[in-house]
Amino acid sequence: MKLALALAATLALSACADIPRDPERTEALVRETGVIRLGWVGEAAPDEAATGALRRLSKLTGARVERHEGESEAVLSDLKDGRLDLVYGHFPQASPWAREVHFGSALGWRAKPPKYEHVPRFAMRNGENGWVMLVEQASRP
Amino acid sequence: MIQIPSDIRPAIAKARKLEWWTLAGMGSVVLVMYFAMGSSQAMKTAFLEDMLGFVPAITWLVATKLEPREPTEKYPYGFVRVNSLAFLASAVVLATMGAWLLYGGMMGILGGEHPTIGPVALFGNTIWLGWVMIAALIYSVIVPVILGRMKKPVAEELRDKVLHTDADMQKADWQTGLAGIAGILGVGLGFWWADSAAAAAISLSILYDGLKNIRTAAAELLDSVPRALRGAEMSPEARRLRERLQAMWPEGHVRLRESGRYILADIGNIHPPRDLPDLRDLMGEDPHWRLAKLSFTPPGCAHADEDDQRR
Repeated sequence: MKLALALAATLALSACADIPRDPERTEALVRETGVIRLGWVGEAAPDEAATGALRRLSKLTGARVERHEGESEAVLSDLKDGRLDLVYGHFPQASPWAREVHFGSALGWRAKPPKYEHVPRFAMRNGENGWVMLVEQASRP
Repeated sequence: MIQIPSDIRPAIAKARKLEWWTLAGMGSVVLVMYFAMGSSQAMKTAFLEDMLGFVPAITWLVATKLEPREPTEKYPYGFVRVNSLAFLASAVVLATMGAWLLYGGMMGILGGEHPTIGPVALFGNTIWLGWVMIAALIYSVIVPVILGRMKKPVAEELRDKVLHTDADMQKADWQTGLAGIAGILGVGLGFWWADSAAAAAISLSILYDGLKNIRTAAAELLDSVPRALRGAEMSPEARRLRERLQAMWPEGHVRLRESGRYILADIGNIHPPRDLPDLRDLMGEDPHWRLAKLSFTPPGCAHADEDDQRR
């Protein structure tokens, strides 16, 4: 009984806390610096859903988007190492990078696209759960 | 045919019903956990532990089905000990799985894996998947803890080690749930290592259960003395039986072993007596059905005086 009460109290306190947070403080750094460092895969055509999401993300954080173009390997590697905050490109869910970074939901798709289909989506650093939540929230029209 | 004693038939029926409830209840837990699992290592480990929860229940149901089967020419003693064999096999699976999951959890910490727990759309709202995971973990605790508490007295009445271990593991399931919740909340608070640490803690408990069960099962297969349901000591009723047998045949060498839930006794270095004492005199206040066999090994037989040979 005591344990159940302790658990209930912990969960209630946690619900009040700012959860989820980023271990590497991506969201906090974006707000502090006022810049979202966006990696853009060179050949990816601009997508209406993506530009809308970036506009909303900019509004939510009060930060401007700083675009860095490059090959997908290079920008995803920069994202993994923390040199970028976000990457936009056309990626399949079953990408070999899926273990290294977190791929967000398919932009402009209502249903889940086939696993191997390249679709427009954002990629974020693994484990930056607060930032992932914010980007996904901004990605929904 | 090896008859199940009438004294314990109602308890067997109750245990069977509880094991079927376990399969249904744990089935619902596994389903809930599967849908909430995400990429959390702690959730995956807790999910696998719940899956492993099927093993003792299935083992018990299969063993009790085989237990009363007719002995065959090749198996003249019947299939009472199939229970012990299945118990050993399930214990080995449990220990192996625990070691493998512990390795996964440790590698997660050493490799600096940052688990991503993203959002999920639920009834038109976007919420953090971690809250869904915590709800699933709370549900995953309630079902086995209730079942474990219900099984415990039945296992004690039946002197059934598989059922007792199953009940013990289920009763302790709240620790797994709590570790999992701590892991998810830790990740939510920005401690990336909390998930792998929780997974490692859960795996340790699986490994511990497995090793403990291997020890118990191996002891029975090696014909050790009948052991208490909890711990490695001789069971008190076996001790009392040994004292009574020793008092009745002071020249004999009393040896007891366990076969499933039954005690088998052998008095070495004694010719089979013409008149045997009543079962009531042999078992006293203890359940009479426990003594399934009393045999005598006359002097001169190779196994008649093993105590002296050992000396």
